[in-house]
Amino acid sequence: MSILEARDITSGYGEVQVLWGSSLNLEEGKLTCLVGGNGVGKTTLLRTVMGQIHPWSGSIWFEGRDVSRLPAYTKADMGLIMVPEGRQLFTDMTVYDNLEMGATNPRARPKMKDNLERVYEMFPRLKERRDQNAGTLSGGEQQMLAVGRGIMADPKVLLIDELSLGLAPVLVLQLFENLKQLRDLKITILLVEQNVQMALAISDYGFVLAEGKVSLEGPSRQLAKNEHVRAAYLGL
Amino acid sequence: MGNLFIASLIDGLLIGFVYGIAAMGLSLIWGVMNVINLAHAPIMALAMFGVYLLFVSLNLNPYIALILIALIGLIGGVIIYYIAIHRVLSAPPLSTLLATYAVNMIMIGLGTAAFSTTPRNVNFTLGSIGSGDLTVQGTRLVAAIVATVVTGALYFFLYRTRPGKNIRAVANNRAAAELMGIPSSRVLALSFGLGTLLAAVAGGLIATFFPFTILAGNAYQLKSFVIVVLGGLGNPIGSLLGGLILGVMEGVIPIFMPNSWVPVLEFILFVIILLVRPTGLFGAKK
Repeated sequence: MSILEARDITSGYGEVQVLWGSSLNLEEGKLTCLVGGNGVGKTTLLRTVMGQIHPWSGSIWFEGRDVSRLPAYTKADMGLIMVPEGRQLFTDMTVYDNLEMGATNPRARPKMKDNLERVYEMFPRLKERRDQNAGTLSGGEQQMLAVGRGIMADPKVLLIDELSLGLAPVLVLQLFENLKQLRDLKITILLVEQNVQMALAISDYGFVLAEGKVSLEGPSRQLAKNEHVRAAYLGL
Repeated sequence: MGNLFIASLIDGLLIGFVYGIAAMGLSLIWGVMNVINLAHAPIMALAMFGVYLLFVSLNLNPYIALILIALIGLIGGVIIYYIAIHRVLSAPPLSTLLATYAVNMIMIGLGTAAFSTTPRNVNFTLGSIGSGDLTVQGTRLVAAIVATVVTGALYFFLYRTRPGKNIRAVANNRAAAELMGIPSSRVLALSFGLGTLLAAVAGGLIATFFPFTILAGNAYQLKSFVIVVLGGLGNPIGSLLGGLILGVMEGVIPIFMPNSWVPVLEFILFVIILLVRPTGLFGAKK
């Protein structure tokens, strides 16, 4: 069953149209990836789904409800959570405060203790640095905190924008492992990645975005074998 | 000379506490939503009149009146935010400045119509402590204590409670706060309300020892700018310390040179801090 669906979205910034009728849907409990080159509209699609920018046309459905015009904070309350590109932490606040802010929505608040334990277990570094300002963390730790903050929100669907960007390969591997753990906890995940090879390797299903439209979709294993994908994104 | 110096120092310090919370109000709004609230001055002045009217007509103790005025300040601030600020917040930066200036002019106009420009004063005293040159008015002492308590309460609120942390989160990264389910408009409205509450408390305290007109807030607003730059944006403790520094300057400088030099030196300090340490003496924020 699809838990989140974007139907024929067009959107952009000011006069500039970025999305030209993109559709995608996430199956509940699956790890889905959205891949594609630089500037094809992956982030714009996520931001439109989240409500940070409004779709020009098309609609967005979450758990069978039309949420096209709802603001981001209402969607967060419903369980649709985004880990934004560039982490966007509260850099002047402590690691703990950042995690606490994650648990703002009424569903997450009563589970804050359990989720905090889960985050600290997944990222022990964050526990060590709980009283440090988020701005003083290394890039990798900041990404852990961004994901941790998302987990604190007790998401039904977690949208992650550019998880691996600028991180050391060892860390990327670890974070991808963490994503699988989250999927096993029944969290539906949409991962936006430039690292197409790794994204296809860990995900169940994939969408390929090109020039503001979904050009290809399918089970990740099949996409990884697709001639066009191999030539355009995997350099094979 | 020694006694005079100490007396001026104490005087300056005590008034400095009140300057501190006046500046805190300006600094909170500025730091959280990048709005310079030019209506700060008339809000302070209206609070002075509020305490005065409650004292004169209901014979209310000025400090009880102050609590009521603080609450009205909070609610009034939220209303001002939704009417005058909210819609222009994402417009070009100077729009909010003009919006708060318009609120300023409206308040001063209404205040002048209602109260004229004849100075009033709250005829209230708590006696004094000390003797001779070293006398401290009770009302000033209480004002300093109230200001310290308010600073502590604000610090606790911002750093230890969830609504306070929401304010800091929105100030720090508004888009991320929304992604976490924090409705930023409501948080901004609350911040504006708290800013005006602080202005109102400062005004109400000043009314217990200085005469005032509807224009009386202007001098404090100017001082608040210097203090905010001294103390750093959005930092309550910084504002309090900045207020104390300014208060001491005002107390001590007139011993050595004419009174008219005080603002000259204050604003020279303002420019120097802006040039040398734009984050403020106690601020860490960019």
